[in-house]
Amino acid sequence: MHKTITFALVILTGLSAGALAANQMVYQKGRVFSSESVSIKKGDALTFVNDDSIPHNLMSATKGSEFNLGSQAPGTSTDVTFKEAGDIQVICAIHPRMKMMVKVTD
Amino acid sequence: MPGLFPRRSNLFGTVVVAASLGAVGFASIGLGAVVVGETRRVDLGQKAAPGIDSIKSQYKRPATIPFPKENPYTPEKAALGKKLYFDTRLSVSMAQSCASCHSPGFGWGDGLAVGVGHGMAKLGRHSPTIVNAAWGAIFMWDGRLATLEEQALGPIEAAGEMNMPLDKLMDRLASINEYKPLFAAAFPGEGMNAKTLAKAIATYERTVVSERAPFDAWIEGNEKAISEEAKRGFAVFNGKAMCSACHEGWNFTNDGFQDIGLPSKDIGRGEFVPGVVKMQHAFKTPGLREIERRSPYMHDGSLDTLEAVVEHYDHGGIDRPSRSDLMKPLGLSAQEKADLVAFMKTLTSNLSPTAVPVIPR
Ligand SMILES: [Cu+2]
Repeated sequence: MHKTITFALVILTGLSAGALAANQMVYQKGRVFSSESVSIKKGDALTFVNDDSIPHNLMSATKGSEFNLGSQAPGTSTDVTFKEAGDIQVICAIHPRMKMMVKVTD
Repeated sequence: MPGLFPRRSNLFGTVVVAASLGAVGFASIGLGAVVVGETRRVDLGQKAAPGIDSIKSQYKRPATIPFPKENPYTPEKAALGKKLYFDTRLSVSMAQSCASCHSPGFGWGDGLAVGVGHGMAKLGRHSPTIVNAAWGAIFMWDGRLATLEEQALGPIEAAGEMNMPLDKLMDRLASINEYKPLFAAAFPGEGMNAKTLAKAIATYERTVVSERAPFDAWIEGNEKAISEEAKRGFAVFNGKAMCSACHEGWNFTNDGFQDIGLPSKDIGRGEFVPGVVKMQHAFKTPGLREIERRSPYMHDGSLDTLEAVVEHYDHGGIDRPSRSDLMKPLGLSAQEKADLVAFMKTLTSNLSPTAVPVIPR
């Protein structure tokens, strides 16, 4: 709830980049994840930013934590909230060298 | 890109995105362990287009071939791998070798639209070159094999291709006296088995590297190495035509999967990633080294010339949900198309002839 309010406020004040400060950010410039591994607490979100010049398609096939962002346009960001503890591999469906681990802890 | 999410309707725009993700059948909005939130526009700042020197620096040839830790190079392995690569007894018919479809004479492909397998039956896809396979991140047009070692065994076993069960093949090779000492020298203590067979063939394949081409001399500073037409083509390749968004780096591929809008029923990568729209009809981006020698082109061999390939990209292909967002009509002029083709021809090296090895008896 708290997050929703923060997000709404930020939209209202037009500081969309600042809104993301609460989340850890993962970037994709040059077809490479900015981190090979990220640790977060259960229930927290990561912000995946496509700061590259081409679309990416982030997803996970890790059992129980499957998701798919679809084609993510350059210059956009998407929040992904992880609600269960565990190691979740995030890949780009398009670019096979793009792989990272999200370590979600209790 | 601007206008994708109109300024005042950020939230509305994101709802639309979320809903379309739901249709994919993967995203779990408000359900399950992972929740995908809103997609927003972010300001990445204005970036100046990189200069020609900066672009050229991304195309330098590597100095060495990468070999994996699990299967390091030895001359014995490569020599054994070469004999196996050219040995037709790896197929059940004893008529086809790896080199039948990946022949040094045809830029390490076969010059056919689609490959020919067991019983001379046509296969579904074009035989890819093995040039520069050492740098591959994933193998086969649909990426179904992760390593070159796995790739080496794939066509041997495939019923439609060489149709040779591996246990039967190892029995056959064991009965050929001259193979035993070669395996013993290449794999001391490991013996003759499918694993060492794959390691030997993969090691040999990694040594198949495109040689220096005029393009490389130009990248290294010789302005006379390629024509002005080709230089303009390189600029179009990296600029207006955006070819380098996928055909990037010295081997001209990032091994990514894209649906480029060819009218084929084959879903390619989609078979392995069924829930991901952009992977339907997607195939692995091939490198462009020796491309002039590798016609016909595309995963289905449907285009005969480089000119036809450029026309396809200029047109943008079939507009369907899976088509890559990078595919769109380019509006290239006749001059720009000709320049692109001139540029691609500078990637042809003076490949020195490959000697066919003496096959063990
Ligand atoms: Cu990607």
